[in-house]
Amino acid sequence: MNRLLALMQREFWENKGAFRTTPLVIGGIYVLGALMMIFTTAHIDNELYTFKESVRFAAQQPEELRSQVLYQGLLASSVFFTIVMWFVVFFYLLGALYDDRKDRSILFWKSLPASDTLTLVSKLLMAMVVAPAAFLAALIVTHLVIAIIASLMILAVDQNPWTLFLSVSQPIKAWSLIGLTYLAQSIWALPLFGWLLLVSSFAPRLPLLFAVLPPLIISGLQTWIGFLRTFTFENNLWGVIGRWFAHSPAIMSVQIDDDDGGNVALGAPVVDGFDHAITVMNIFDRLLSLEMLAGLVVAVVFLAGALWFRHRATDN
Amino acid sequence: MTASIDNTGSIISARGLTKRYGRTAAVDNIDLDIPAGRIIGLIGPNGAGKTTALKAILGLATFDGELRVLGLDPSKQRAQLMEDVCFIADVAVLPRWIRVWQLIDLTEKIHPRFSRERCMEYLSRTKIQQDKKVKHLSKGMVAQLHLALVMSIDARLLVLDEPTLGLDILYRKSFYSNLLNDYFDEERTILITTHQVEEIEHILTDLLFIQNGKIALNTSMEEVESRYCEVMVVPDRAAEARALCPMNERQVFGRHVFLFRDRDRATLRELGELHTPSVADLFVATMEDGEAQVAAATQAGAAQGGAA
Repeated sequence: MNRLLALMQREFWENKGAFRTTPLVIGGIYVLGALMMIFTTAHIDNELYTFKESVRFAAQQPEELRSQVLYQGLLASSVFFTIVMWFVVFFYLLGALYDDRKDRSILFWKSLPASDTLTLVSKLLMAMVVAPAAFLAALIVTHLVIAIIASLMILAVDQNPWTLFLSVSQPIKAWSLIGLTYLAQSIWALPLFGWLLLVSSFAPRLPLLFAVLPPLIISGLQTWIGFLRTFTFENNLWGVIGRWFAHSPAIMSVQIDDDDGGNVALGAPVVDGFDHAITVMNIFDRLLSLEMLAGLVVAVVFLAGALWFRHRATDN
Repeated sequence: MTASIDNTGSIISARGLTKRYGRTAAVDNIDLDIPAGRIIGLIGPNGAGKTTALKAILGLATFDGELRVLGLDPSKQRAQLMEDVCFIADVAVLPRWIRVWQLIDLTEKIHPRFSRERCMEYLSRTKIQQDKKVKHLSKGMVAQLHLALVMSIDARLLVLDEPTLGLDILYRKSFYSNLLNDYFDEERTILITTHQVEEIEHILTDLLFIQNGKIALNTSMEEVESRYCEVMVVPDRAAEARALCPMNERQVFGRHVFLFRDRDRATLRELGELHTPSVADLFVATMEDGEAQVAAATQAGAAQGGAA
């Protein structure tokens, strides 16, 4: 256990930019955006007249509506964090078993009494747990900082931030849902994580090409052969990947469902008979689906391959 | 047929150790037993199979045949083996992004036999600063750092593959003297490969020459002293010396130097001044001998083929 933690510590040190700086920078962009908005408003708005009126208007709205809008806002602000996190994890895993082969430091890492399996597990856990935790933590800090800035602004126009928004917002609920979707995505994305680690473990160079080209070529050939046979574009690997991505338990956009005015959904709530709404029930439904089971099988095959290559890997 | 390994006293035992890359065998059917408490120089020309053999021993490569290091199978039990084995494979393998204190921290957490106190003590003798990244250290400092890490681990086998490549002479000298004075004892075994044989020959207890994937010579330094002899002969008597079938002949300052194996010393002394050959000279002679044998075998094979 201590060894595993030490290996994860190593990953964190080596990839500080990915796991620490990046989420903080995104939070910084939000805060900077908020400050710029304030200065712009102060600059063009004569004695903050419009701002005062807006706050007064907001204060007159029913508590229910204010609460709902704030909740949606908290969820919506996570989308940017989530997308950047995907990129970070993607490139982290692509380099995870490649970089130390390239710079030959694998010869040092392999001189330590840590097994290849433990090394692989440490890297997988960084992608599945540490990255989401880091991005969620940065999101929470961002929310808190912006809440403080907003409160000060509202105090400045003689309104009560507590009754206006602090008391009616539901940050814990929003953060829990975001955290849950992050963990669910980590499980949902296991086949992709496995694939990236596999590529990273064997690619002699340019792991990005090795990761992207095979699925492109396979789906291209499938489409072509399918078209020759039936003159239609049938389901192919690309379709499978697209569906996998679309079904991912992630908050990608936020909209209020007309009927019950509360569902947080991906674009369209129900498409092709699939319920895209991100609710706790739906998340568990997806994790317990046959699709997920098939994904796990694929992931195990890829990870076993990565381990096989890692076991044989040296500096050349 | 390869005999199975039963020699449990050996640190390294190999039977029929072979590693093929396609058709060529980088290591070709080697049998080997290395006892504890020795410093072995593994010496061979480029491409002879030294690094391949070391990689097999360290569990960094798959192989055919049987191999036991400290009683373990390196290809399957690398992690366990590394608790008792340390290695430095060339100077530049420490991760470049890491800071010195992070490296010490990690090694301490992962290695059960690492002593932070010893490491600090070694580092205090150098100019290495703990908050520096490895990439900002000089090549010599990286070597010192790696050696400090390795010497702070209470291991039974230390493998050094060209540990001083590209270092200046001061670093190289202190590297080996630290190794000998602060680290080596009769419980430990050190296996070194290097091309700079002159620098290590005084610390070696054993020689292992490797050529074309096979062992060309496996001997202790005492044996070298008792079995091998170099004679400096004036040109007039060179023919006499040649008649005694020397392994090798070379000329130095107009004198002929002959290298003999297992010849009567009294006879040789009459020809000229005797001394023990240097490892480098012994190496050259052994390699030429080996190549000549290979050539003869090939010729014989060709002649036989022609006859049939």
